Amino acid sequence: MLSHCRPEDLDALHRLMSAGGPVLPVAGGTDLLVAGRELPRQAVLVDLSAMPELQGIDTQARDIRIGAATTSAALEASAGLAARFPALVQAASECGSVQIRNRATIAGNIANAAAAADLIPPLLLAGARVEGLLPGGTSHALPLEDYRTGTGLVITAVTLPAGGFEPLSAYVKLGPRRDLTIARLNLAATARLERGWLAGLRIIAGAIGPRPIPLARAAAALEGQALTPDNLRGFLDALSAEVDAAIPGRASQAWKRQAIRGLGIDLLARLLGLSNRDPIFEGVC
Amino acid sequence: MGQVGARASLIDGAVKVSGRLHFTSDGPMPGLAHGALLLSPHAHARIVSLDAGAALAQPGVIGVWWHENTPQNGYNSAIWVEDQQLLADERMFPPVLRHVGDRVAVVLAETAAQARAAALLLDVRYQQLPPILSHAAALAHLGPTTDAGGAPSFRNPVQTAELDHGDVEAGLAAAAHVSRIRVRTPRSHHCAIETHACRAWPEADGRIAILSPCQSVFAVQAVVAQALGIGAERLHVIKAPIGGSFGGKAEPILDPVCAFLALQTGRAVQMELSRHETFIATRTRSAIDGQMTIALAADGRILARDVDVTVDIGAYCTGGGYLPGSMLQRMVRLYAVPAERYRGRAIYTNTLPSGAFRGYGSPQIHALGEIALDLAARDADFDPVALRLRNVVGPGAIDPWQHLDLGNARGGDCLRRGAAAFGWEARRAAPAGQGRFRRGVGVAAATHINGCFPGEDEATTATLGLMPDGRVSLICALHDLGCGSDTTIAQIAAEVLGLQLPDIAVTTADTDTCHYDLGTRASRMTYIVGEAVRQTAEALATDLRGAAALALNAAPDTVILADGRAVAEDHAIALADLARWLTGRGTALPQATRTHRATANPGSYAAHFAEVEVDTLTGRVQVTDYLAVHDVGRAINPMLVEGQIHGGIQIGIGYALYEDVAIDPRTGKVGGDSFARYTIANAPEMPSIRVLLVEEGEPTGPFGAKALGEIATIPVAPAVVNAVNHALAARLTDLPLSPERVVQALVDRARAPGAPGAP
Repeated sequence: MLSHCRPEDLDALHRLMSAGGPVLPVAGGTDLLVAGRELPRQAVLVDLSAMPELQGIDTQARDIRIGAATTSAALEASAGLAARFPALVQAASECGSVQIRNRATIAGNIANAAAAADLIPPLLLAGARVEGLLPGGTSHALPLEDYRTGTGLVITAVTLPAGGFEPLSAYVKLGPRRDLTIARLNLAATARLERGWLAGLRIIAGAIGPRPIPLARAAAALEGQALTPDNLRGFLDALSAEVDAAIPGRASQAWKRQAIRGLGIDLLARLLGLSNRDPIFEGVC
Repeated sequence: MGQVGARASLIDGAVKVSGRLHFTSDGPMPGLAHGALLLSPHAHARIVSLDAGAALAQPGVIGVWWHENTPQNGYNSAIWVEDQQLLADERMFPPVLRHVGDRVAVVLAETAAQARAAALLLDVRYQQLPPILSHAAALAHLGPTTDAGGAPSFRNPVQTAELDHGDVEAGLAAAAHVSRIRVRTPRSHHCAIETHACRAWPEADGRIAILSPCQSVFAVQAVVAQALGIGAERLHVIKAPIGGSFGGKAEPILDPVCAFLALQTGRAVQMELSRHETFIATRTRSAIDGQMTIALAADGRILARDVDVTVDIGAYCTGGGYLPGSMLQRMVRLYAVPAERYRGRAIYTNTLPSGAFRGYGSPQIHALGEIALDLAARDADFDPVALRLRNVVGPGAIDPWQHLDLGNARGGDCLRRGAAAFGWEARRAAPAGQGRFRRGVGVAAATHINGCFPGEDEATTATLGLMPDGRVSLICALHDLGCGSDTTIAQIAAEVLGLQLPDIAVTTADTDTCHYDLGTRASRMTYIVGEAVRQTAEALATDLRGAAALALNAAPDTVILADGRAVAEDHAIALADLARWLTGRGTALPQATRTHRATANPGSYAAHFAEVEVDTLTGRVQVTDYLAVHDVGRAINPMLVEGQIHGGIQIGIGYALYEDVAIDPRTGKVGGDSFARYTIANAPEMPSIRVLLVEEGEPTGPFGAKALGEIATIPVAPAVVNAVNHALAARLTDLPLSPERVVQALVDRARAPGAPGAP
């Protein structure tokens, strides 16, 4: 039998998890409850949306802390997050539609672990940590990088440790259409400005493999470099080379190795607060 | 009065937006059983065995039917009248499955969930057969379409159409420029918001009633009768409110199965496809592979065209056999071409069948003709608008194939007025840019038909009658597909009768109460049905004036109908009072029935202008501005005309840039089988749209009106493609212009020998 419960605080969830039965967490329901998706015959559907401990975004403390059931819409609207780590705000604002963003949660995006998930690249970039309860009720925390599905971990919070990201950050995606689209390629970057140059630049790409991957060579191509046409071309060439290395022989390689050049310019423009038609990008393509 | 030209709201708009309208599967019905289909996972396979034991043992399951226990009558789902001679190659449940999504079996159960769960338990063994999934393989599978015994052989070609007009060789020899262009168009899916549904139940008199969101109740009746091998008189078909069709519901797909189940079990039965099933098991717009050679004189006249088109119609004939001829018919009505050769052929493949889809071949043949003409213009250094203006047909032109008068054909006005309003010359001359983003503008012209004349008995019969409350009932086989045809038709009746829209009681199509009608197809609603209703309204008006003249003691020719009253000089009588007065005297209330039989098929014309911006790195195209100019004769309801055009542009942009059913050439599986995988133009992809109407009047249409429904989408894809080719100075001719194709074309060009920066 499939049953349902709605714990109203973390203690109630803890008691439920301690009981040890099969638990199927549901927060926004935008993945699990899509018509046609098969539900297990035997489990407790645990609605995570009523626990105050799983809500909210705290950007006042050194580490940023985000409740697991925080919706994309809430991430998108968070002024504190926009000031400290805009990449996540931008990614949240490009998840699905308004209706989906009003329901879909940060932990849901992590737990479903889609290759094209919008929130995961910026979270990985920030060195995010995942906290939760394991079956049996044990508390557990781990870096998002080490998170794997299938462990039964019910995520309760996501933290972005101070120092995990730089003052500048940005997220861009490319899908089959402009909105309400699943990324065919997405990029997240963080960096700081030193004497007009980018420093500490790190880039993560999604949807070119089962998991997002860091683009170290592309980042190195611009690290500490002036944004001259030659250097920008070198950066774009490095992005293409990263695609070639990630998906050699894949049908989508020919397009993605070109498209990432456009997306790379969009990423830099957003990182620097420029238009992607800014004169500094002229003559680079 | 004041109705024609009024921007009237849809007469069923309020019930729709307030959720009060019951679509086929909405209304409560006691004792309703539900059918669920099992669809073929293979492109071509024989059913070796089917074990229904486990399914039958499930709670609520009423029965399971497949090829061994259902009628195996051959039928064609595209017939619209009994005994129509059209290759009858379909079976409700065939023993040999011919495409992924073909029907294997149906389970009937008390609930839809029970039926769907049980269908998954059917144990079917298949023997896979080699599928034909390419045009080359199909064209090698030659032979007559039926064997000696009349059984379908599934050999190619299914049907051909040919034209040899004038001296093509001489035209080619005399030409200053000859361009040869190949254009390929994808299969596309209708994406109606309502998935396919049907209800059937036994009536007290032993007949089977069918409630169907269809385009012709009489076509449903004919198809179901053929499939079940019973007389059409045993079927009572009622048109249900429809949540969009675009041609996708023109052919009854569920109706034969649903009616069969009701007949077999005596139960009321509902069938409703899921979104996925609608994608893989209904119909598509056919894909074409076309070549056009265009010979141009030094002054821009088209001297000759040589055209070859292969139409992939999928696994069954349906109406696809007509497509080569339909394409030819529309192709020759746009430009005055003195010499024309056309070879068109429809071929079977093991893919889902094609069917009607907004234009019935017109979008495909115009994509070929208008993209080819644009590239020919470039090759010969002509302005695309000027070249079209030099060749477009004018009023009174006669087409070279059916020799029909094209009526008050105003394609030239569309091009001229559009070019001026769009600022064509300046925008065309503006540089595309050298950077990442390139800008371009494109134009395409189009024509489309007005009804089925001379191919069918193109006629409509309507009845209008005074009701006791002073309103007027309209009885006619009306099939509004959501486009507002009921509203337009009611406006025509109200105009003649001096009434307001709420005074016209519009009934929907029903085989028991309506005269035979071809239904909503071939852009015939306003031009044919509207004219039938106009003539009927004139007849009723004469009767009403005569009756009112008696009541008012006035001469009939002094009576006018206005504002719901009959007025004679200084006195008047409301129609409700007239009805009471007539009833009091024991006189029947006036009623008129007229049949309008078409004697012409004029052309509707359009010119569309698109501006695009192309991202040369990502390959993404954004349509940034759009102007649609349409020769509609006369707009009965300009707001609905604009709405049709806006929707047509949305479908056309999808056709140009995004939409592809994308059948895997190795397995025959459908790639675009969900809205996640089948991309359409959403609101952010839509440009700002301006609409200009050319209203010069068509003498044979009601109040001068001509058709608009299908032509609204026909020029869109070539206009957008031509704009992209202008922006990139490219020759992209395979639709859709996906980011991959755009990028590939640019990469190939950069690598070409002699290109700047080529290795």
